Parts: sequence; C-alpha cells; structure tokens
Amino acid sequence: MLSEFSLIALFILIVMGFATTLVLIPQALKKIGIVPSKPSEVKYEPYECGLETIGETWVQFKIRYYFYALLLITLDITVIFLYPWAVELKNLGSSSLGVIFSFIGILAVGYIYAWRKGALEWK
Amino acid sequence: MTVAITGEEVVGALDKELKGAVKSVESEGILVQAEKILDIALCVKNNKNLKLDYLVSITGTDYIDYLEVSYLFYSLDNNKRFTLKVRLENKSNPAMPSLTGIWIGAELQEREIYDLLGITFSGHPNMKRIFLWEGFHGHPLRKDFSNGN
Amino acid sequence: MEIRTDSTSLDIDRHEGNLIKELRSSSTKPVTEPSGWLSEDLKRNIFLTTVDNVLNWGRKSSLWTETAFTACCTFEFISLSSSRFDIARFGMEVLRSSPRHADLIITAGTLTWKMAPQIKRVYEQMAEPKWVIAMGACGITGGIFADSYSVVPGYNRILPIDVYIPGCPPRPEALLAGIELLRKKVEKRSFLQG
Repeated sequence: MLSEFSLIALFILIVMGFATTLVLIPQALKKIGIVPSKPSEVKYEPYECGLETIGETWVQFKIRYYFYALLLITLDITVIFLYPWAVELKNLGSSSLGVIFSFIGILAVGYIYAWRKGALEWK
Repeated sequence: MTVAITGEEVVGALDKELKGAVKSVESEGILVQAEKILDIALCVKNNKNLKLDYLVSITGTDYIDYLEVSYLFYSLDNNKRFTLKVRLENKSNPAMPSLTGIWIGAELQEREIYDLLGITFSGHPNMKRIFLWEGFHGHPLRKDFSNGN
Repeated sequence: MEIRTDSTSLDIDRHEGNLIKELRSSSTKPVTEPSGWLSEDLKRNIFLTTVDNVLNWGRKSSLWTETAFTACCTFEFISLSSSRFDIARFGMEVLRSSPRHADLIITAGTLTWKMAPQIKRVYEQMAEPKWVIAMGACGITGGIFADSYSVVPGYNRILPIDVYIPGCPPRPEALLAGIELLRKKVEKRSFLQG
C-alpha cells in the first residue's frame, strides 16, 4: 500500500533537488566569476519605476485584507466540496442534493453573519 | 457647427456689467482689463442668453511688447464660442487673477502658462512649475528666452 | 535633501530639481563605453572558449527588454514585437516591467531632462550584463529637439550605448538589423573580461 506512493516520494525529491539547483547555479557561477558581479548602492535599492522610495518600503497592510482572505478561503472550500459532488451526481442520487444544500446553508449562515457584522465593508 | 459670437453681441448683452472694463471689441472676442477678468467671466458664465459656461482652453502668448492671455469659452446649449483676451503690459512681473474658483479645470493650464511664460495667477491653489523642474531658470516660451547653448 | 513621507510636494519637487540639475551638469559629454572591449587589439586576439559560446548563446537568445520607452519610436517597437515582424524569433518577446529581469534597454524616443534621472536609475538597477540600443534620431542626438531647453541631446549623455539605429522613426526592419548587430556583439563577449 505504502509502496504505491514511492513514486510520489521520488517526485518530491526530484522537485526539491531541481529547485535547490536552480538557486545554487547562479551563486556557483558568481563564485567562479562567469556571472559578472558589479554591486552598487542603487542596484540594491527597491525598484519604484525609477523614482526614489519615499518613506519605508516595508509597510504594514491593513488587517481588513485578512478578513477578505478568510472569507475567500471558505468560498474556496465550498467549491472544493461542490466539485466532486457534481462529478459523482448520478451515483449519489437525489438524497445528496439535500446534503449539499444543508452544507451550503451552514456556510451561508456564516457568510450572512459576517456580512451583517460589516466584514465586507472597507473602513 | 459651432459659431463664434461676435464681440458686439456680448458687449450688447452685458452692457451694464461690462461698463468700463472693455478695452476693445474684436470680431470673435473682446479685450478686457486684467483686474476685472473674474467678474466678467462670472457674468459671461451666468448670463441667461449667452450661457458660455464651458471653459475650453487658456492660452498665453508673448507679443514682445506685451503678454496676452486668451480664454476660449463654449456654450454647449447654444453651440456658440467666444474669446476673452487680457493684455499684460508689465513683462517683468506679470500677474492676474486666477479662474480656478469658477472653473477648477483652469488649474492645469494656468500652471502651464506660469511655467512657460511666467504669468502669476493670484488665487491659484498650487502656483508652481508643472512641466519643467523646480530650479529651472527663465520661462522658455518668452521671446527673449535664451537656452544658453 | 532627504525626502520623507511628511515632505510637502514642493519639497519633493525641489529634490527632483536638484537631481536633474546635478545630472545635467555632470553629463555634458557623451559617456564612453565602459570597457572598450571591442577595440582593434582585442578583435585580433579574440579567444572564445566553449564556456563563452554556451553563455553567449544563452544571452543572445533571450535578450529581454525593459519596458522603459519614453516617446513615439515605441510604436515601431510595438509593431516589431507583434505578429508581423515577430521578435519572438529571437527569444525577445518577453517585455519585463522590472529592471531586475531585463538585459536590454531600447531607448525609443525623446528623453527630457525631467525623465533622465529615472531612466538612469532604471539602467543602474538592471542586472549584469546589460545592453543599450539607442533607437531613432532623438535617441542618438536629440534629433530635431537637440537645441531644446528640456531635451537630453542623445542618450549617450547618461547611458553607455551599444548599438545606434538611425531613423525618425526607424522602421521595424531597421530595428531588427540593430538587434542582429547587438546579437553579434553579445557573441563576441568573453567572460574573462568580466
């Protein structure tokens, strides 16, 4: 049973090795001197379409973004559950319709609660 | 087609308001005193017959002896156009009132005229250079401007 | 003068004005090419290794262009990058909006002094190795605006130029010819020169 997944483990190893190599190649080439390295102060500054940065580049985002992200994740999960249900609709029969509607109903209650609380308003 | 209103027509319609402010009447516009431009522009805009309520453009010109600022108005209701002109004899320090209080769209063009001709518009919210950089010497659309090259 | 988040717009304008004045007074003569690595001496003794060939093949086959176009010659470049002339043949169809990814600046169009510090900064932020093509009359000498109060008389005042393409504007074919020249130049580079 577990050996069936050995190919996946191998795949993960290859992917990780590939990613690491890609990061290391330029570093190694730089060490040898093949890749030209001419560091300067301006080159390492943040890119702002050629203008100097005003203030800090590392700014804090509003906490509101995370509300939206959270609500979006619940929507995503709904889709993840709906998709296999829609594919297997014929086998599952009409009783599954009620099940999925109650599932959406629970989520809808959460959504309406968030909506009423003003989580969808930008303040 | 948009037809120009003759200067005589406007002077006839605004006889009372314009008293003393008009310097000369031309075929497509009138030349007025610089200090009274605000009152005249308001009259022209609010007059029920003329309805010249749309300021199309402001242009500055250097005629060597004097600077001239032209305002082009449209009446969208009557499909007519009309020009107001102002002459500034004092070339060393030309100044006149700004029309930004009546038409906010005048802001950019007045700044441009300040930038390129050096005419200061009093009452303008942000009177500084717009196309050239801060610290540029002279006003390049003046006839006596020299590039130094 | 330092600009901060609470600086007024006039402060920022003054800072910009100072930058322009500095750049303008420091760039009265054309920039010479930094290494002069294509001098006659080197041409005769040119010695390319296999490593060079591989590197240069990679570099010339994926010259990614920075989207830093200032004026109307850009339309010829747009024409070049779309299907009729198709620079995808040279692996150049990728236009990068960040200088970190780009190898090439095509200076399409008139450059004003107000824009010059930005272009110079974008060039400085590009990763090595980098190339510049001066496109059109304005890019080479300032064109008809050369005497103007606000126009940089040629990009070579602020950037080292590799290939000049004359024309006002140059046709896409001319731009293709210029790109071919640049590819030949890239081929001749040896990594030993740094």
